[in-house]
Amino acid sequence: MINNRIIAIIKRELREKLMSKSFIFMTLLVPLFMLLMIGLQMLFALYQGDKGTRIELITESESLTESCKKYLAKQDFIKDETYAILYDTVPRKSLKSRIEDRKKEILSGKLTGVVFVPSTALKDKQIEFYSKTPTNLTVFEKLDNNLNEVLIDQYFSEKELTDEELKFARMSVRFSGYKVSEKDELEEEGYGNTALAFLFALLIYFSVIFSAGQTLNSVLEEKNSKVVEVLLSSATSREFMTGKIVGCTITMFVQMVIWLLPIIILVTTSWITLPESFTIDISYGHLVFFLFNFLLASFIYQGLSATVGSMFNNPQEAQSGFFPVIILILIPFLLSFTIMRNPNNPLAMAASYVPFATLIVMPVRFTIVDLPVWKLILSQLINIATLMLIFPISGKVFRIGMLRTGTKPSLREVLRWLKS
Amino acid sequence: MVGSFDIHSSKNGIMMVPHTHALEIRNLSKSFGHIKAVRNASFDVPEGSIFGLIGRNGAGKTTIMRMMMNIYLPDSGEILLRGKQVDQEFRNSVGYLPEERGLYKKMKVLETLMFFAELKGKKGKAVSNKAKDYLERFDLMDRMNSKVEELSKGNQQKIQFITTILHDPEFIVLDEPFAGMDPININILREIILEKKREGKMIIFSTHLMDFAERMCDHIAMINHGKIILNGSLSSIKTEYSQKNVTLTYEGDISFLESHPIIEKVSDFGNSTGIRLKDREQTQEFLRLLLDNQVKIKRFDAEDISLQEIFIELAGKGPEEELSFDQ
Repeated sequence: MINNRIIAIIKRELREKLMSKSFIFMTLLVPLFMLLMIGLQMLFALYQGDKGTRIELITESESLTESCKKYLAKQDFIKDETYAILYDTVPRKSLKSRIEDRKKEILSGKLTGVVFVPSTALKDKQIEFYSKTPTNLTVFEKLDNNLNEVLIDQYFSEKELTDEELKFARMSVRFSGYKVSEKDELEEEGYGNTALAFLFALLIYFSVIFSAGQTLNSVLEEKNSKVVEVLLSSATSREFMTGKIVGCTITMFVQMVIWLLPIIILVTTSWITLPESFTIDISYGHLVFFLFNFLLASFIYQGLSATVGSMFNNPQEAQSGFFPVIILILIPFLLSFTIMRNPNNPLAMAASYVPFATLIVMPVRFTIVDLPVWKLILSQLINIATLMLIFPISGKVFRIGMLRTGTKPSLREVLRWLKS
Repeated sequence: MVGSFDIHSSKNGIMMVPHTHALEIRNLSKSFGHIKAVRNASFDVPEGSIFGLIGRNGAGKTTIMRMMMNIYLPDSGEILLRGKQVDQEFRNSVGYLPEERGLYKKMKVLETLMFFAELKGKKGKAVSNKAKDYLERFDLMDRMNSKVEELSKGNQQKIQFITTILHDPEFIVLDEPFAGMDPININILREIILEKKREGKMIIFSTHLMDFAERMCDHIAMINHGKIILNGSLSSIKTEYSQKNVTLTYEGDISFLESHPIIEKVSDFGNSTGIRLKDREQTQEFLRLLLDNQVKIKRFDAEDISLQEIFIELAGKGPEEELSFDQ
């Protein structure tokens, strides 16, 4: 099956891709890019840009106003003067005229808004916010818990509760997750595996998208530089396509193993210790499954991108033809976020056995929940069947497309190639 | 001559007759949509010959060559290599120079040569040394480690030609090999082609330049509008076509010949003029006619005709029935 011509093509692909500066660049860049994305997200979350916020907080009773004043004065955002709060007690009937008085200041931005805590809030906890931007989430985040505490204190102050009872009343419910598996013990599970599932989805997505794009361009270049005719005089189109895809897949595989090195070290050694809530629980088998699945994903998407590249004559046309391939990988990637929230949702379970979707969905699900071996085997059989279906089709389109010039082919024309 | 035989049965038993045709093209047809690029083309390429596939641009030469190389699949017909359908064995033993040259631009020159040789199953020190010899011959030794894209177009063509012959193929198939080359490099190329012929290799090349074909080929097939209109050995073709022909170089006015009863056709080729007589026995009468009309004769070649004249004669008529000449 693998002959000297395929080996020669594989070697050339490896020399061009694996030994290239872009490979080193990409291998280092993707983890850095991911770290950058997480870092930026954290940075943006920390930076709320609400320095200088001025709020007027109005209640209907002196005692509630005093409680708010006393409670909020202890908060950091008041101490560091990020927020300035003016307190007042005004009955509801005068609220409208008060808002009218403040209108000019609100519209000019000198006053961020007026928070009105009516007496009825002690029954229904409904608070009103009058502002130019009344859905300002940072204001809500800063005030809602604090005002809730004040309302709880006020509500229970007449019930003669002890401090301990009051503390209990203030507490929120906290879930601890224990994984039920084939193992004897029940283990409390942190968020490590969910984070790993996210990482797996991201790595498959990035790797496939980047390398499929590279293959697309490389096929286009071979077609446009006419080198394909020389190649096809020595090797068959099938040998050429196989060599090319195997070469690209080996490059992707090596890159993926490099990216997974920290995870491999984590699983195989005790050199790295993660915080308890981020402990990762995966086995060698899990990594082998992931890499095997990735290998099939590479073959499938390399095959598709080589086919698309062979059909068109310039990058613009090829990009539009490549769009359906991107959709095929983008949808399961987006679906994987739903799976991380609920790995048992019916959509996730169905997608685990849908061709193309299973390539991302199954590794993500398997990282979060224990699945029986037959389900894993079934998903891989679906991938192999997809690959076996794609390759003959790709081979036919590739053979005709590579030597074709002129306008971009219509769908009808491509179907005719397949029938020929 | 490679040891291959045709088997013939007769009253006296089975006879093994040496196979004289290396390649046999049988009833080859190929269409692209509504365009019939090649129509029922048949010709034989004899062993040890330089074979020219000649015709105008777009006549179907490249399509035939691509079918020979199995790059295009024919709609009908077959290509036989010494009596057997061409297969990977033929591909391994052939060096192909396509009309539209193509190399990997980012690859280095020597790497490129080694890659294409490896595709044909040849690698190692010996191939590397041979590659360097060819580079030396084409005056490209100092560019061995340059990227292909850094070379001029002419030099890239030379590299492409070396990739065609580096693996020492038995068959060399060249599609318009001289296109875009300067006279010095055409000469080197021609020397190598003749050298390969002397080594017993078979060379098939296509060209629309008749003088190259005439100077180099032993056998030709002429294609027009996808149809083979003439094929056979160059000498027998020329003998047949030259019988009523005179090639003339002169000074004076020969316009009187246009309507003369013994003249069939006058073709002006600039430096010389081809005259076709109605009867081959009228050569002496024709010479007299020129002298009587004070035409100063510088060259008078009776029974001589150029390939270009034959080509214009045949191709100018449009699609014709096929003419075949035995060797």
